Amino acid sequence: MTHLTVDKPPRSRPAPAARPGGLRRFSASSPSWLFAAPALLVYAAVVLYPAAAGVVYAFTDWSGIGQDMSFVGAANFLALLDDEQAMGSIGNTLLLTLAIVAVQNGVGLLLALGVHARLRSRAVLRVVFFSPVVVSPVMVAFLWKYVYNPDPSAGLNGLLGLRIDWLGDPSVALWSIAGMVVWQYAGYSMVIFLAGLEGVPKELHEAAMIDGAGTFQRFRYVTWPMLAPAVTINLMLSTIGGLKLFDQVFAATNGGPGYATETLSTVLYKQAFVFGKFGYSTAIALVLALFVAAVSLVQISYLRSREVAS
Amino acid sequence: MTDLRNARVSRAQFFRMMGGLAAAAVATTACSTRPQTTTTTTGGQSATELKFVGVSDQKAPMDAVLAGYQQAKPSVRLTPSYAPTDQVQTSLRTQLGAGNAPDLHVVYPGNGSAMSMSQIAGAGLLADLSAQAWAATIPTGFKPAFQLDGKTYMYSAGSSVIGAVYNKKVFEKAGVEQPPTTWSEFLALCGKLKKAGVVPIALGAQTPWVTQLITYALVPSTVYAKDPTFDDKQLAGQASFADSGWRQAMEMYLELQKRGFFNDNPNGTTFEQQTSMVATGKAAMAIQVSAVLPDFRKAASSPDDLSMFPLPGADDAASVWIPAGVVVGLGVNAKGKNVEEAKAFVDFLGKQENINAWAKAISAIPLTQDAGSTIDPAVESFLPFTKDRAVPFMDQRWPNAEVQPVHFAVVQELLSGKATVDEALKKMDEAYRK
Repeated sequence: MTHLTVDKPPRSRPAPAARPGGLRRFSASSPSWLFAAPALLVYAAVVLYPAAAGVVYAFTDWSGIGQDMSFVGAANFLALLDDEQAMGSIGNTLLLTLAIVAVQNGVGLLLALGVHARLRSRAVLRVVFFSPVVVSPVMVAFLWKYVYNPDPSAGLNGLLGLRIDWLGDPSVALWSIAGMVVWQYAGYSMVIFLAGLEGVPKELHEAAMIDGAGTFQRFRYVTWPMLAPAVTINLMLSTIGGLKLFDQVFAATNGGPGYATETLSTVLYKQAFVFGKFGYSTAIALVLALFVAAVSLVQISYLRSREVAS
Repeated sequence: MTDLRNARVSRAQFFRMMGGLAAAAVATTACSTRPQTTTTTTGGQSATELKFVGVSDQKAPMDAVLAGYQQAKPSVRLTPSYAPTDQVQTSLRTQLGAGNAPDLHVVYPGNGSAMSMSQIAGAGLLADLSAQAWAATIPTGFKPAFQLDGKTYMYSAGSSVIGAVYNKKVFEKAGVEQPPTTWSEFLALCGKLKKAGVVPIALGAQTPWVTQLITYALVPSTVYAKDPTFDDKQLAGQASFADSGWRQAMEMYLELQKRGFFNDNPNGTTFEQQTSMVATGKAAMAIQVSAVLPDFRKAASSPDDLSMFPLPGADDAASVWIPAGVVVGLGVNAKGKNVEEAKAFVDFLGKQENINAWAKAISAIPLTQDAGSTIDPAVESFLPFTKDRAVPFMDQRWPNAEVQPVHFAVVQELLSGKATVDEALKKMDEAYRK
């Protein structure tokens, strides 16, 4: 998270004094590409090459083991259209993403506004709200399996006096998973919103107050437009996170009950490692990657235009 | 945060940091490409290191035989590691695909799962064990679990059964004297337990593999007792799930639910919760595989509280059949660096005393028996069936790895009322034909 603050030094700061032979001369002319070569080489070896190789597998029937493999053209992609389970998982993935994006950012914004206020305990609260982010998602899922215990006297049911089968009822399970994702990542959205809030100049608020604007009006016409970059980042990160959600689903329900919480990521995992259909699984992964890229591009171009307008 | 904001790094510091990172990266790569098997020289004597990756259930039996092996073969060191089923399947398939699998690894009997003997041996990745002495003693009925095209590729110490694990104290308290021998008696027993205020059957259907056990326990009676050649017919396309006793088994499964004989919310209950319910007497029974009896015993105040009986899936005691399957085994990586040493280890496991030790640790019925063989008293009531009224676990003859997960999913759907028996069987038939 540190880069958020490192990237944005306060505007009023005077330019750093030139240091002889220091960083200034180093950054004055743009550095040669050669400097990036070692990093690019590593990136190509561990990211670009495997990704390109993966694309090739998407057109084969490789089982993941052994040498037997033949090219099957677009058969894997056509099979995807006919695959009831994969298609159902797309619906689940979209629903989950929508729920997570809306609630996580809503809660994140409220938390940010809350801990931005001049509360005595705000430093502590910031840490408390952010702390779930640092826990591994699989651990969070295991912990929430206890919270979601269907026993009326245990966990969330015991606390709220409910009798809900959180992870076992197919019509509830998807939302239960969204709930634990929001619990974990609302703090993450909060931190990004908070960085945006810190960047809103006090003078604007003072001017608005002098003009007679109330709390809500100041939020609507001063804070909210200034938050646009934070909104862009948050919406993008949570959308990408939602679309490729895997760990929490895998650990909490493994896609069940039935197929009720199956996401594209769990389906492609199962195709590869449970059914031994690596080629088909890679095809699903490719579709997922393209889909995420397309959604992100549309989203970022829309949100960026909104930032300019404001 | 403010410290970071003001931090400045000199160019020399920057390069030193990058250099350190690069060195660390090289070191990590070097570590990760270290071969899985190494031959090290200790005190002038060459020691071979064998690596075994197994499923968690194999830890207890491996521990039971390992000390003896180290004594018999001090020049070889075997390092085992274990993971739960899902993880072990994922990591092993990845390693097999990448060509860096361990010398010895878990193999599931027969066919029907991604790490099953037929699938891995079919890809040429398992060494042939046919020449070993124990391989000649595999009972005919079990051969499909161990062999592909007449060659043995897997070692397993014996077989386990599926039936009702029950808490003796709860049965006593409810006044139950004899385990039931017919389906109607079983239903009456559940009714009696329910009246006594305990959950008759604990079901942890949130854990996928647990969903299949009740159907597996019933199908031998509803399908195979009527037609022992059902598997062959199904493979030839002359029989299906929908037009067989599978329908009856699913209906019986749901009847147990309809009568309220399961705990509330079975789809939200895990295997661990199921185990503890029976072990602590909150529930009377669980339909389970005998290999997990040690788990129930560990969770109980006294291990003697628990025993098992065959689940009677028919109304005529003589036509009750039981599922008895070869327990999860292990195989030798044909592409490993120490194939011969690894095979020698399997040969060691094949000695009768080691078959006995392995089987004892998982309450299994030993593959072959001698005077030193012990059979867990809890599974003794199954022995009269094992000769001619037992069939291997169904998935071991299924043609692909998709049918079993579909079975898990449709059972969860049936339990939550999201699917009918017709729809469930149709999905299983579709997966079978893939």
